Formats: sequence, structure tokens, C-alpha cells
Amino acid sequence: MYGFHAISTHNGWAMALAGALIVFSGLVVLSTAISQIHKILLFFETKYVGFRNNNKTHENDEPEEQLELALPTIFPTELDEIARLYQPLIEEIGETFYLSDLYKLAREKHFPHPHITFTAFRDAKILILYGDGVFSWTPPKENTVNENE
Amino acid sequence: MDLLFQFLSNTGYYLADYRNVIMIVVGTVFLYLGTAKKYEPLLLVPIGFGILVGNVPFFKGFGLGIYESNSVLHYLYFGVTTGLYPSIVFLGLGAMTDFSSLLARPSLMLLGAAAQMGIFFTLLGALGLGFLPKEAASIAIIGGADGPTSIFLTAKLAPHLIGPIAIAAYSYMALIPVIQPPIMRLLTSRKERLIRMPELREVTKKERIIFPGIAVILCCFLAPASIPLLGTFFFGNLLKECGVTERLAQTARTTIIDTATILLGLTVGASTQGDVFLTPKSVGIFFLGAVAFSIATASGVIFAKIMNLFLKEKINPLLGAAGVSAVPGSAREVHLVGQHEDPENFLLMHAMACNSSGVIGSAICAGILWSFMI
Repeated sequence: MYGFHAISTHNGWAMALAGALIVFSGLVVLSTAISQIHKILLFFETKYVGFRNNNKTHENDEPEEQLELALPTIFPTELDEIARLYQPLIEEIGETFYLSDLYKLAREKHFPHPHITFTAFRDAKILILYGDGVFSWTPPKENTVNENE
Repeated sequence: MDLLFQFLSNTGYYLADYRNVIMIVVGTVFLYLGTAKKYEPLLLVPIGFGILVGNVPFFKGFGLGIYESNSVLHYLYFGVTTGLYPSIVFLGLGAMTDFSSLLARPSLMLLGAAAQMGIFFTLLGALGLGFLPKEAASIAIIGGADGPTSIFLTAKLAPHLIGPIAIAAYSYMALIPVIQPPIMRLLTSRKERLIRMPELREVTKKERIIFPGIAVILCCFLAPASIPLLGTFFFGNLLKECGVTERLAQTARTTIIDTATILLGLTVGASTQGDVFLTPKSVGIFFLGAVAFSIATASGVIFAKIMNLFLKEKINPLLGAAGVSAVPGSAREVHLVGQHEDPENFLLMHAMACNSSGVIGSAICAGILWSFMI
């Protein structure tokens, strides 16, 4: 048996339509659910945790040291300049680091387009692969000195 | 002298048949593509070598072949026919997958759903070509572009087709760089390919920990037949994200998945014995597999374009092609096609969101098809 006759006999149309609808509705429900997770968490953190923290005494709390960065209103286009702005981040995460850690930190500090910047840093050998996904940082000045040597 | 002739008549040289030779050539091509071209080497090398092993002619009854009940290969093949290896592979995949991009932009999950339409179009095509419903469902799942899912469903519905279906699924996964880009370019304009996606918001650790729990409940309640795949998949992801089982997650994403992949690849390759594999049905399966994969890619792209009709902030329709579950091959291809038009366009993270939802989507489809056939 072949063709449309075979499809109809084996209930193919119904299976295809029902299958497509089920998988679609399943993923729509899942995407709706996961789109609410952060809102629910935020709700609990602000209401419940906020309430709990208000009842605590904060006498012994020491302010956490936070890296405060003042980014220029107009971000520089020169790579060396950008690298200088990244220098405090490198000092914070250490000599060798995973690129994802630097990316997260750059995002937290609102550095624009970290992905593109990292590619440029790698091309300019400012970011150097240390091995096993770990990178090291060579500031632009040192780069130039090495090249001259 | 008789002893010598008897020995010679039992050698592979004497017993060889043209079908074994054809399959050995196919195995060599797989090994070439895996090693020289680096197309999915982790899959094609074990499968390619398995094809060579499975097509060495032997004297039937010695307990050597994969289909002989007392052979070593048959015992190893048990993991394929029971669906054990695919479940283990999914555990490792879960422990590797980062759902952050999907959690940051859940609407991209719709593209993963849209790309599953290839499965259902192929179901109709296979039925129309005269395949039985269980065979048609097993062939259709190739459209999900997910090797372990294809093997799992075929093992449950049409075990006699595991060889051709697995080979077709993995072949098309390896040929992503050849199959997908022309379809993406054909269905999109340059202007659409240039659309840039906004940077994704940061996802908290708590969201990533909660996600596997919610996902396994919602997906498996809908299609309980997908528990063997999605149960282990989300369990692996929880091991990765919960932060207290790093050692288990590390084992799942390295040793466990590697062992399962080796055994899966080798035995699936060995199951392609020329006399069993080279049939007109296999040709039909390869043809339908290509159709399924192409329709899956096209439906993802077309759905992204349809979404753009309603969205204020347009999405790059290339992302639709990453809705198939070939992780991370199709996401990488989307990124490369996007970068070909605009080297500063970074689509990889968004494409990974579609890709990971494709994995979930194809496993749900497998569960749905299995439950339809029970």
C-alpha cells in the first residue's frame, strides 16, 4: 500500500497533526514556565529574604569590598585604551583565568560587547591561551616591549 | 591438503561477498570524513571502524557476528537494542549542556519546536512510501537530527532498522556543514541574515538549578515515554548545576559518555553487515532521512520569519536552523553563516538556546511517537 491511501489507512494524518501540536504545546508551556522562574525568584528574594534580613541586626556586618569602576561615557576605540580599562578586572580575577569568568565580570561592570573585545584581544595577543581553556593577560605595553626585543 | 583447503574456505577472502566490500568502502569513507575532514570524528570514527569490523566475512555459527546470540559483539549490542546507551549518552549530554542562554531567552524554544516539524512531515512521507507505521516513526525521528534519540526509538519500534537509521542519522549530523547552509541562504535575505541579537541577560545559579526539575516534570508528564531520555538528560544537568556534585557531573560528561559513545558507535557500525544492511529499504531510509533533515532546517527558519511578523524586536531567522538537535554542530553552523555576512555578528549563544531546546523537542517527539505505536 502506497501514497495517500497508505497514510490514511495507518491514521498518518492524525498522528502527524496530533504529534506536532503536542510537541509544540509542550515546549510553549515549558518556555512560559521558565520565563517566570526569575520573576518568582525575585519575588521571593525581595519579599521573603528582604523580610528576614530586615529582622536581623547588621552591627557586625562589614561592607563587602566591591570593585568600583568608572567607565568613560564614550568608550575608547583604541585596543590599548580598552585593555587599560580591563586591567582592574584582570587584577581582580588573577593572572590566569577562564574566559567565561572575565566575560561575566565584564558584563557585571557593563563593559560593552565583551565578545568582540575578547576576539580583538586574542588577535592582538593580549589574551593568550595558557592551556585547558585557561587564559593569561599580557598588557599592551609588555606586548610592545616583547616585540621590540 | 584437505585441512588447508578447509581452512581457506573459512577465511574472509573466500567468504567475501560484494555487499561486504561495498560496506567496507562505506566504512572507509566514514573514517576518512572523521579523521581527515574532522566531520563529527567522535561519532564517525567508532562507527566507521565498526562497519569494517561488522563486514569482515565469517563462517556463520561460530558466534562471531553481531546478530549471533552468543557473540561478544551481540552482548555489546545489547546496550543499543535496549536503549541503554542512548540513555547514558543523554546523561552525559545533560551534564555538558548550559541552559543559560535558553533561560535568558525562553521564546527561542519555539524555534526548537518548529524544527521538529520535519519529523512529522517525514512520518507522512515514509507511510506514503509503503513503510509500516512503526518503521515510518523510526525513520521520521531522523528529522530530529539526534543520533541517540533515533537509535532509542528504533530499538523500541523497529529494531531491524537500527543499522540504516543510525547510519543515516549520524551521516546527516556529520554533513550539517554541507546540508544546512544552502537551505539557510535560500530561505533568508541578506538583510535578515544581518539582524543582530541583543546580548542575553545574566541567568542566576538558582534559575539554572530549578530548571531541570521543572523541565523534567513538564516534559515527562506530557510524554512519559521520553523518561529514559529526558530523565537522564535533566538529571545530568542537575548534577552540573547544583554545585555539590561536581565530581559526578565531571564523570558523566567525560568517562561515562565517552564509554557509551565508543560502544554505541562500534556496535551500530558493526550492525551494518552487508547482507542485512544493503536492501532497498536502506536506500529509502537514506532518502527520507535527507528529506527529514532538510525539512527540519527549513521549518525552523520559516517559523523564525513568521515570528518576526509579530515581534517588535526581530530575531535573526538563521537561528531557526539551530532548532534541530544536532548539538553543537547546527548552532556552530548558524553562527558561521551569520558571521559570513557580518563578522561582528555573534549568534552562537542564541543558537545554542535553540539547539538545546531542539534536544528536548526531539526527545519529546520520540516519546510521542512511541506512545502512538503502543
